[in-house]
Amino acid sequence: MFDIDLFLQYLANGVVIGSTYVLVAVGLTLIFGILGVVNFAHGEFYMLGAYAGITAVTLFGVPIWLALGFVLVFSAALGFGAEAILHKPMKNRDATSSIISSFGLAVALQNAALLTLGPQPQLLRTNLSNVPVEIGPVFLPLQRLLIPISMVVLITALYLVLRYTWTGRSLRAMSQHATVARLCGVRVERVAVVTFMVGAALAGVAGLLMSSVFLVHPLVGNMIALKAFTVVILGGMGNVAGAAAAGLLLGVAESFTSAYIANSMRDIIGFVLVIAVLLFRPQGLFGKAVERS
Amino acid sequence: MKNLALALVAIALLAAAPFGLGGYEVNVLMIILFYVVLAVGLDLVSGYCGQFSFAQGAFYGIGAYTTAIMSRDLGTSFWVNLPAGICVAGLFGLILGVPALRLKGHFLAIVTIAFQTIVYLTISQWTSFTGGQTGLSVPPVGPVTIFGVTLFEIASLRSYYWLALAVAVVALTIAWRFVHSRLGREWIAIRDDETLAAAVGLDTTRAKLTAFVASAAMAGAAGVVTAHALRGVTPDDFTIWISATVVAMMVVGGKGTFIGPMIGAALLTSMPEFLGRFAEYKMFIFGVLLVITITVLPEGIVGRIKRLREG
Repeated sequence: MFDIDLFLQYLANGVVIGSTYVLVAVGLTLIFGILGVVNFAHGEFYMLGAYAGITAVTLFGVPIWLALGFVLVFSAALGFGAEAILHKPMKNRDATSSIISSFGLAVALQNAALLTLGPQPQLLRTNLSNVPVEIGPVFLPLQRLLIPISMVVLITALYLVLRYTWTGRSLRAMSQHATVARLCGVRVERVAVVTFMVGAALAGVAGLLMSSVFLVHPLVGNMIALKAFTVVILGGMGNVAGAAAAGLLLGVAESFTSAYIANSMRDIIGFVLVIAVLLFRPQGLFGKAVERS
Repeated sequence: MKNLALALVAIALLAAAPFGLGGYEVNVLMIILFYVVLAVGLDLVSGYCGQFSFAQGAFYGIGAYTTAIMSRDLGTSFWVNLPAGICVAGLFGLILGVPALRLKGHFLAIVTIAFQTIVYLTISQWTSFTGGQTGLSVPPVGPVTIFGVTLFEIASLRSYYWLALAVAVVALTIAWRFVHSRLGREWIAIRDDETLAAAVGLDTTRAKLTAFVASAAMAGAAGVVTAHALRGVTPDDFTIWISATVVAMMVVGGKGTFIGPMIGAALLTSMPEFLGRFAEYKMFIFGVLLVITITVLPEGIVGRIKRLREG
């Protein structure tokens, strides 16, 4: 028999996981859509953000909101460094160069984390996990509820920045037509740095938020990055709203797949969706029809 | 003629290597041979035909699992499984080639990443068919008989090494013939300017699909031999990271050149071995070196040498 209460619970779980995908994928889609960099190391931003948060909370005992600020700054600095490696020297090269370079960076960061932090998984313990919140039939610990809330706050902030500031305007101009944007006086170098910093910061925050729900280990970024790629395609390249919608969709689709079909199918569903979408609607589910080559 | 003579000398030296080297070194050489086949195979589709692919590890896995599952369920021998593995991998190459007819660049890269991940997740999750995370064991190749007469037995490391060498030589010869045929020139024309290639009447669909199939078939062959040589298969030998490593080998050596991917495969496979004393740090150093190499040598080692020669 179909249980509506359970259905809503699965839906809520899907939204929580999906919110993480949104945060990781929005950064990836910006870097991808604006700079054309396929960033394999994006999952490592998530992983390092999680570790930075755990370190701040457990070692220095700072409250979670302060840890959030710390992770934002730390991840943005990481993005700053990554831009200098993955984008600055790679301009005017074919796309494989940045792919290989980001693959190398991902391997280096993962193994640096393995060497310094060890392979044993960690979990962030906060007292927020023990605060239950019930919305109708749906039950969520406060810690989990914070994930979609933070996602909405961050994505709204990003949207406002993109919509109403000069930095946002130059980012959008770059994504529409890089050459024309350059001719109109957009400072391309600065846009590239900002894009990487924003992307890394969003991924890092996602890592911190999830570190109290899922175990964190040095290789955790692999699957997250692949899922984020999935979301980017489903949402349409460089499309922030599309990535947000597709991220939630993927989270919910995974939650339902593991609940109603089979747990082992959970991770596959997104990749199957991607291939189907690319074959029948190459511009993505939410993309406008533009030249995709 | 000079090329042929050089190739023959290289093959003779490689064939004689087990007499002068220890087991460990022979093992490393054998793994290099597998990666040579994978990287040269990828070069056909990515270097010559200009189509991104991040799925070489998946075809490698498809070949390996074909032989493992056939040996288990049908009891067939290596000599049946080898052509079967090549065909199955080639068939999947054809399937992956279809999106390539519509998509380019980053988008194609992502579809191949999705394909690679689906293959990995399938072999790691479909426990009843593939053995799941524990993998499957694969029987040895065993005695080689013709008309009931046993010629030799493939069971020792040396004999597997020679088998790998023989398969690599055959695969590379076929790849060489492809590249220097009319089809190979069509691939290069598509890589350089697809619109122009179509305009002058080339069948770009056929050319692209053959590139995908040839590339996948070579990986399938490598997979079958690897599965027997290592006596087993596990999903973690066929992840996206294997694909990315193969791409890195091709690019570091020089894509679109015949010898480049071989040099890349030899360098990137043996490099972690040179770092013996720093074993703990080898993967970290590997990543850093990869970033540095691609930053200073974008056209790869062979590409740079070629450019220097041409002045």
